[in-house]
Amino acid sequence: MPLAPEFSVDEVIITTMARQLHGEMLVSSVTAFGSLAAHLAKRLYAPDLAVLSTPESGMDVTPMPTLTLGQFLTDVQQGIPLTMEDIFDAIFTDHFRIWINPSQIDQYGNTNITAIGDWHHPKVALVGSRGIPEDTSHLSETFYYILNHSPRAVLAQVDFKSGAGNGESRRGLGSHGAPTALVTDLGVFSFTGPGGTMAVNSLHPGVTIEEVQERTGFAVYVGAGEVAVTDPPTEEDIRIIRESDPLEVRKLELMSGPMAAEKFVNIYERERQALHATYPRVGKFGRP
Amino acid sequence: MDKRMTIDEVVDRIPNGAKVAIGGSSISRKPMALVRALARSDKRDLTVIVDVGGPDVDLLLGTGSVSQVIYAFVGFEVLGLAPHFRRARQNGTVDFQEWTEYTVMAGLDATIKRVPFIPTHATLGTDVPKVNTAFREITDPFNQEPLIAVPALAPDVALIHVNYADIQGNGVILGDGHVDVLCAKAAKNTYMSCERLLSSDELQRFGRDVQVLRVYSKGVVEVPWGAHPTGCAPDYRTDLRHLQEYLKAASSDAGWQQYEADFVDVNHRQYLDNHGGAEELVSRLKV
Repeated sequence: MPLAPEFSVDEVIITTMARQLHGEMLVSSVTAFGSLAAHLAKRLYAPDLAVLSTPESGMDVTPMPTLTLGQFLTDVQQGIPLTMEDIFDAIFTDHFRIWINPSQIDQYGNTNITAIGDWHHPKVALVGSRGIPEDTSHLSETFYYILNHSPRAVLAQVDFKSGAGNGESRRGLGSHGAPTALVTDLGVFSFTGPGGTMAVNSLHPGVTIEEVQERTGFAVYVGAGEVAVTDPPTEEDIRIIRESDPLEVRKLELMSGPMAAEKFVNIYERERQALHATYPRVGKFGRP
Repeated sequence: MDKRMTIDEVVDRIPNGAKVAIGGSSISRKPMALVRALARSDKRDLTVIVDVGGPDVDLLLGTGSVSQVIYAFVGFEVLGLAPHFRRARQNGTVDFQEWTEYTVMAGLDATIKRVPFIPTHATLGTDVPKVNTAFREITDPFNQEPLIAVPALAPDVALIHVNYADIQGNGVILGDGHVDVLCAKAAKNTYMSCERLLSSDELQRFGRDVQVLRVYSKGVVEVPWGAHPTGCAPDYRTDLRHLQEYLKAASSDAGWQQYEADFVDVNHRQYLDNHGGAEELVSRLKV
């Protein structure tokens, strides 16, 4: 497959995320990037993946003509309905993978989605740890992505550990749940530096190590020898991503604030129309 | 036994200071009609227990009904942070206890199993046990390894919303069950709203989708659109447009007062009328 003549950063990130997935695993698709990476991986790289719908948990869902923003239900998607017990049992038995998008990640791979500042007097109260502590104590691979690599997001120490990284956090915990990879708009990182700290694996085409250093809140470890360049997406990767997300939901994840939310609502409404055209509603027992 | 009751009869049975577990997940299948009725009542000092919270927790914080929140997450997902939750967390006006998705399930399960705690590795190595004073680090008596003891969570009341129910209080959930069944089994009193009441014969055709068993429910209320503005799979999607308006309203005192007047301090029929009626909702949100 020849390399794509043109690709955008979101397509590099999604392709890189997809290529990390393998095996027969339940794969969460709670974000647009996570969802597209899971579907792309299933098509090209890891055919045994069982992709989940979101936010309703259905397994092996039929891919929809648009990237769904949720509420497209397991009976419409013809998936296998799951319970929360199914999800957490899959996490505890290491049959689950998820790409987590934290607000902060530090040099040891500790992650934060709880609060900026002190937990008791937060400058910004975020959402709460959700299921990240379960992931970081049980999964043999944990994956993170950050779309805007900056010293505020990739920093020396997180304000609150919602997820356990390497180093001190591993004491008494063992290796399960340790961070595996971080993909950002600059490159791919692992946690194989001194003491389990973040190390450069590869940089996306055109990115320099100086740029990574400038946009990171600590000195990033770079191994000996030449720094690899991330394998860019192929034409087929790009075709699948674009076909799976014709309304470009993935672009919204790169934005933030009220404008993005408003665009999101508009796409959500268009998505419903697109789905209705393709899947006339049929009830559980074939009743309209 | 015929367990039908009205929304107001459910609220009458919830005392001040009650521990109320709420089913659903963030912007999916929240029992919002019951929550709105609780929010406009004079009930105060509630402890709210949620696994994944959203407009339910945020509304009850906005109306000053809550003194403690036990949660793994409170947010509006793609639309952003929960405004009253964020403000209350930052101002310290309410007691917050941060749990996680599985530990809330484990706490409810401990109550169901009648054990004082359930051990887990979850939250080891994180800061959650440092701020959650309910958890204890214990030593595994068999292998001498550290574990977290998650104490039992014992709700007085559970509020859930399901697709279909019969008058005896069996409930059908067609999409993701979230933690509704755990809430229903753990609470002393479970009240369930449903999109539609069906006969018990019709309900049995749903097989394993009858997730809530009648021995656990004390009351059932038929409330079409009872999860709105959250979604109720497969009947209707989340009303992101309404949630956007909620977020705008919550950004100013005047906006919030108007929101309460239009959408909280009104009965369910009026609530639907203030959205242009059920027909309008069908045209926008029906799957």
